[in-house]
Amino acid sequence: MSPPSLTSYLVLSAVLFAVGFFGVLLRKNTLVIYMCLELMLVASTLALVACSRFNGTMDGNVFVFFILTVAAAEVAVGLAIVVALFRKRQTIQVEELNHLRD
Amino acid sequence: MNPPDYAGLARALLPEAALVLGALLVLGLDLLFFRKHSRESRLRSAVAIGALAVVAAIGLNLRVGDAGSVFGGVLVLDPLAVAARVGVLLLTLLTFGVATGTAPLRHPAEYIAIILFATVGFTLMAAAQQLLLVFLALELASLSLYVLVGFDHARPESAEAALKYFLFGGMSAAFLLFGFSLLYGLTGSIDLPAIGAVLAKHDPQPLLLVALTMVLVAFGFKAAAAPFHLWAPDAYQGAPTPSAALLASGSKLAGLTLFVRLLWPGLGSVAGHINPKYISPGWLPVVVLLAVASLLVGNFAALAQTNIRRLLAYSAIAHAGVMLVGVMIAGSAGFAPLFYYAATYGISTVGAFGVIAVLEGRGGCQRITDLAGLHRRSPLLAGCLLVFVLSLAGIPPLAGFFGKFYIFADALSIGGATGEIGGATGPVGRVAVLAILLSAVAFYYYLAVLKQALVAPPAEGAAPVRVPLAAALTLVVAAVLLVLLGLFPTVLINGF
Repeated sequence: MSPPSLTSYLVLSAVLFAVGFFGVLLRKNTLVIYMCLELMLVASTLALVACSRFNGTMDGNVFVFFILTVAAAEVAVGLAIVVALFRKRQTIQVEELNHLRD
Repeated sequence: MNPPDYAGLARALLPEAALVLGALLVLGLDLLFFRKHSRESRLRSAVAIGALAVVAAIGLNLRVGDAGSVFGGVLVLDPLAVAARVGVLLLTLLTFGVATGTAPLRHPAEYIAIILFATVGFTLMAAAQQLLLVFLALELASLSLYVLVGFDHARPESAEAALKYFLFGGMSAAFLLFGFSLLYGLTGSIDLPAIGAVLAKHDPQPLLLVALTMVLVAFGFKAAAAPFHLWAPDAYQGAPTPSAALLASGSKLAGLTLFVRLLWPGLGSVAGHINPKYISPGWLPVVVLLAVASLLVGNFAALAQTNIRRLLAYSAIAHAGVMLVGVMIAGSAGFAPLFYYAATYGISTVGAFGVIAVLEGRGGCQRITDLAGLHRRSPLLAGCLLVFVLSLAGIPPLAGFFGKFYIFADALSIGGATGEIGGATGPVGRVAVLAILLSAVAFYYYLAVLKQALVAPPAEGAAPVRVPLAAALTLVVAAVLLVLLGLFPTVLINGF
C-alpha cells in the first residue's frame, strides 16, 4: 500500500473544517460550539503539518505549536465569557441571547 | 545564511516593549499602592501610566523609523508601518481619554492594561510581514478585545456582546488560519514577499481561490464589511463605551493595514481582473461585492436605528465599504488615501463615542433622543459632536471630506497597472459613484443625530453635564485634529 498523498490529507482536513463549521452554525449549546471552533483550528493544523511534510520545510510544524498555544488562550477567554454570561442569565444556550436589539 | 539579527529585532520592537512594560507597571503599581483607593483615583493613575507608555512608544517608533525589513522579513518597518503604528497609538491615547470620561468599571487598572495589550497587537499587525506573526498579532489583539467587550460586570448585555463577538471572531480566525495553511501548502513559504514571488510565476489554481476566499472572510469580519458585519451592532451596543471606541478605531486601522499588506504585496499577483472587458478570478471581484454590500447594508440599516451606538455601528459598516474601495485602489494609488481615510475615521468615531461616554457617566446614553438638548446641557459636548458627526458625514473642510475625496478621485481616475480596475467606467468607479450617491442617505441619519443634539429641547429635568477635564481635553484635541487634518490634508497624504 502506498503512503497517503498530500491531497488525501488536505481532503481530510477540509472535511474536519466543514464538520466544525456546520457545528458552529447548527449547534445551540455554547460549549459544543467551542468544541466545533477547536475542530476548525485542528483542521488547519493538520493541513499545515501535511504541507510542511510535503514541502520539506519546517515552517508549518513551527506554526502548529503557536496555534495550539493560541487555541488554549482562546478557550480560556471564551470560557471566562461563558461564566460571566451564566452568572447573569443562568443559561448558555445561544438562542436565548437576544437581549441586544434596537 | 546570515545569522539572525536579534539586535535589529529588539530595536524594531522597542515600542511594543514600552507598551508591555507600561501594562505591567499599571497592574503592579495598582496592586501594590492603589488597591485601597477609590475606583476613580485608580482609573486616573492607571490612565496616567498607560498614557506615558503610549507616548513613549510613539517616540520610540519615530526614533526607530523607517528601518526596512527586520529579522529576515518577519517585520517590515516601511513608511506605512511607521504611520500606522503612530496612528493606532494615537487612537489608543484618545481611547484612554474616553475612558476617563465615563464612570470607571470594577477593575480599572486591569481594563487599562488590557487596552495596552490590545495596542501591542495593533502595532504588531501594522508591521507584520510573515503569516505566523500576522496570525499571532491578530489573535493578541482579538483576545484582548473580546475581554474588553465583556468587561462590564454590571450589565448582562456586555457579556452577551462579548460572546457574540467571540464566536464570530473565533470563526473568522479559523477561516484565516485554514487559508494560511493552504497558501503555505501552495507556495512552500510563510513570508509574504516569497509567497508573492511564487504566486506571480504560476497561473492561479482552484485551491488558491479557496485560500483567497477564506482570507477574505476573515478580512470582511475584521473590517465589519457586509455580509460579515452581524457582530458589529451588538458588540458596539453591549460593550463598555471605551471598548467600543477602540473596536471602531484602532482595531479597524490596524486590521486594514494588515490586510492591505497581505493582499497587495503578498497576493497582488492573484488580484484578478474586474475590468468588464476581461474578467478573471482573483480576490478583487470578491472585494467589489463586499464593498457594494457594505455600502447598501450600512447606509440603509442605519436609517432605521433609534439606538445611537447601533447607528454608529451601521455607519461603521458603510464606512467599511468606502475603505474597501481604498483597498482596491491601493495597488495603484498607494496606501496613503486609505490610511488617511481610516485614521481620520478613527478619530471622529472615537470622538463620537467620547461624547456618548461622558453622557453615559451622567445618566445613560443609548437612544438618539438621549442627546436631546445637548447644546443647553453642555455646549462643549454639542460643539465637539457637531465636528465629529459632520466629519463622519464627509462635510468640507473637515478631514472626513478629504478622506472620501482622495479615495473617490483615485477610484474614478485610475485604471490599474494592468487595467484590472478600469477607471470611471469600471466596477470600482461604479462603486465610487454608488458611495457618493449613498452619502446623501448617510447625511440624513447624521443630521437626525445633530437635530437631537443641537435643536431639540432638553428633556424635563435634564441637568447640565459637567465634563471631566481629561475627557474634555481629549474631545477638543480630537476635534482640532479633524479640523487641522482637513485644512492641511497633505501633511498625511504626502507623508509617505
